[in-house]
Amino acid sequence: MAEVKITGLHKRYGTFHAVRGIDLDIRDGEFTVLVGPSGCGKSTLLRTIAGLEEISEGTIEIGGEVVNDFRPRDRDVAMVFQDYALYPHMTVAKNIGFGLKARKMPKAEVETRVGEAARMLGITPLLGRFPRQLSGGQRQRVAIGRAIVRNPRIFLFDEPLSNLDAQLRDEMRGEIKRLHQDIATTMIYVTHDQIEAMTLADRIVLMRDGVIEQQGTPLDLFERPASTFVAGFLGSPRMNFLAGTLALSGSVAAIRLSDLLLPVAPGRNLDGATDGQAVLLGLRPEHMTRARGEKPAEGMFRQEATIDLLQPTGSRSYATFRLSGAPVMAELQAHDVSRPGESLPIDINMSRASIFDALSERAL
Amino acid sequence: MQTTTITRMTAAGAPPKLSRFARWADRNFKWLLVAPAVLLILALSIYPLLFSLVVSFINYDFQVPGHAFVGLKNFSRVIFDPVARWSLFLTAWLSAVSVAIEFVLGLLVALTMVRSFPGRGVIMSILIVPLFISPVIVGQAWTLLLQRPFGPTNYILTQLLGQEVTIGWMTESPWLYFSLIIADVWQWTPFMFVILLAGLTAIPPNLYEAAELDGVSAWQAFWAITVPHLGPMIMLALTFRLLDAIRMFDTIFIMTGGGPGTQTYTASYYLYTVGFTQFHLSQATAGSWLFLIFTAFVVTLLVRRLLKTEPV
Repeated sequence: MAEVKITGLHKRYGTFHAVRGIDLDIRDGEFTVLVGPSGCGKSTLLRTIAGLEEISEGTIEIGGEVVNDFRPRDRDVAMVFQDYALYPHMTVAKNIGFGLKARKMPKAEVETRVGEAARMLGITPLLGRFPRQLSGGQRQRVAIGRAIVRNPRIFLFDEPLSNLDAQLRDEMRGEIKRLHQDIATTMIYVTHDQIEAMTLADRIVLMRDGVIEQQGTPLDLFERPASTFVAGFLGSPRMNFLAGTLALSGSVAAIRLSDLLLPVAPGRNLDGATDGQAVLLGLRPEHMTRARGEKPAEGMFRQEATIDLLQPTGSRSYATFRLSGAPVMAELQAHDVSRPGESLPIDINMSRASIFDALSERAL
Repeated sequence: MQTTTITRMTAAGAPPKLSRFARWADRNFKWLLVAPAVLLILALSIYPLLFSLVVSFINYDFQVPGHAFVGLKNFSRVIFDPVARWSLFLTAWLSAVSVAIEFVLGLLVALTMVRSFPGRGVIMSILIVPLFISPVIVGQAWTLLLQRPFGPTNYILTQLLGQEVTIGWMTESPWLYFSLIIADVWQWTPFMFVILLAGLTAIPPNLYEAAELDGVSAWQAFWAITVPHLGPMIMLALTFRLLDAIRMFDTIFIMTGGGPGTQTYTASYYLYTVGFTQFHLSQATAGSWLFLIFTAFVVTLLVRRLLKTEPV
């Protein structure tokens, strides 16, 4: 077990600047997820921690020791790859035990450890098989087994679930989370899937174009996104963004869309904002509900809406309507709407709304 | 507010109905298309093959008139000819040694070239140049290099060793075998190199990364990852090269002319001499069939092994 400290890290490939100055502290035993769109540098960052990529600038410390010049094998880290990277000509047992054998561990102990890892992952009956005889999920379990059997200081996961189908992905996600709860080793996990990031992480590090856009607990990022990028990346369906202007008069604030004036929840900090400033109003689909009762509750804004498009998922219905001319998707209860064309009152929870400066796209 | 109007497109409808003749023509037109190729193969391949089978059982010798049936005599002439047996042995021996050397050298070069480094492209282009040279020219070039007394080889060896070297590279046993092997190796090592390099680059780099993180040494990784992955490619390269090597003719024709005496007769050279310089055509044809059977045996063994290599 170990903490990881990254300071001023840069990685360049020729003229391409993949990672542009990362400072990151990962605590001992923490589950950190590096997330972001493809090409944001998250995998590169993970590979530099493993030592598979040399860094151009900066330092990487593992357990208080600068490991910049350590070979991957000497960093005591284990990695699980997206395509599993199992040795195809070895049985499952040999695959898991190969690293131990290479490190000259006595045969009896290798067997004990392999057996233990297999039991943890429920792959004991597969030990005699070859990787090509296994399904994707089983292969990924073997790859994880190969990592845990060495009992490394840090686990690195490089999009381990991307090659699996949706159902298996959900299942394996749960197993990885349980694994972390059981062995409580530092884990760094790369994914482009925001659901994996939200469900697995103690801490999410959201990257964009080689820099960290925002980091914090999943709920931090979800509820208080620092920018429209973060707000749009996390959450499905995506947050709705509506262009408008800020109307300030004394202590009362509102957002003016083309023909609507939506009051900003009282007590909201708008320091530095100016009257007439162009803003983007961010509304999450789940913060719009079918209105009940005579009057909207505190912080709610009621608006009559005509549903254009309805996408029922069974448990919820995604309803698209126009709010001041712009299409907006709301996540309603399954039976709130029965067909498109229907009109109903919608309550918008303005106390949960996010407000961004339209130019910088940063949160106000 | 922007609105979009979507109109339904008109249906494309069912395909037109064909007359009975059109349907018949539609079904059978393909035979017309393959006919030229089939006729060409029949005329140039199947007919000569069957004719050669006939020839091997009759007298078809330019020095003996008539085409009488002679049974297995043509075959027994070849089998009991010591030169024929020697040529077969020499073919097997030269092929095996040349291909083995080419394989080891090709693999070493491929392992060196698999990593990228400055100038790799240029070096690679230079390395594969021998493949583009006709074997006859390769034979000529090596003849000039090795020739006594004007070739530079003996001169350079003399300078290096500090004593007079006067080896007859194309006339003295065992040096002449050495010369033939060196010419073959020079020309065909690039072939091994190219195929093995293709195999090496197809190995997922992740495996080596996983091995590095596992603390596996380079030697262990070579045996645990490289060799098993390269297996099918190795078999392929060896099969191709062996099939090519047992036809060895051009360099012999140019460098030694089969000599001195019949010392460097390979099977192809022997059959050529019997058939086209002595005009014992029926004996040469019978010998060709025997050689074909021998080759087919080797090929079957190799190909069966090749097909058995398991896919990853």
